Amino acid sequence: MKPHLLFPYWCRYLGWGLVIAHIPISMIGRMNGMINPLDNSAGNTGLFTGEHLFFIGTTLLMALGLFFVAFASEKIEDEQIWHVRLDSLRWAIYVNYLVLIISLIFANDTAHILELNLWVPLIFFIIRFRWVIFRLTRTLSREK
Amino acid sequence: MKNNIRIERAVKNITQAELAEQVGVSRQTINSIESNKYVPSTVLALKIARVFGKPVEGIFLLEDGE
Repeated sequence: MKPHLLFPYWCRYLGWGLVIAHIPISMIGRMNGMINPLDNSAGNTGLFTGEHLFFIGTTLLMALGLFFVAFASEKIEDEQIWHVRLDSLRWAIYVNYLVLIISLIFANDTAHILELNLWVPLIFFIIRFRWVIFRLTRTLSREK
Repeated sequence: MKNNIRIERAVKNITQAELAEQVGVSRQTINSIESNKYVPSTVLALKIARVFGKPVEGIFLLEDGE
């Protein structure tokens, strides 16, 4: 099966690299006074200010990293993997909308709801997909 | 849907890994099919049947009520 619209296998490592790189960059930025515009209670940070650009940079780094991890093809991308991928994507959408609906009802912090909406589908997809693959591999080693 | 891939493999004396390689899927997929956890597509079922030199109905069987 040809992996349509998936990144090459090595992009998974690039993705993890970007996710890990995001952590120290974000911490150094915060130590130097860069505040996430979403955390700024005054909410008066303008567009394309230092803080805003820093926020875009770190968020993009993290989002891009997770995107690469989620959508990099497996070593052998066959129809079962494709099936697991689609099933995990379906669950990620369900969970995302559940979280979104609950937070819309019980919270009025739209900026953080937006941020949550950005991470939940990707993170849930990665966890669910890797968990199913892990279980498949574990069954295989038991059969040996 | 049941299948007798395990028996056919034993007759032909090939491993899951060898069958997986011949039909172009992972060993996990062959194992899932053998354990009736995954129903293969028509294309994959035809490829597996071709390896054993049998018609698809000789490898895959519908269960009662299907």
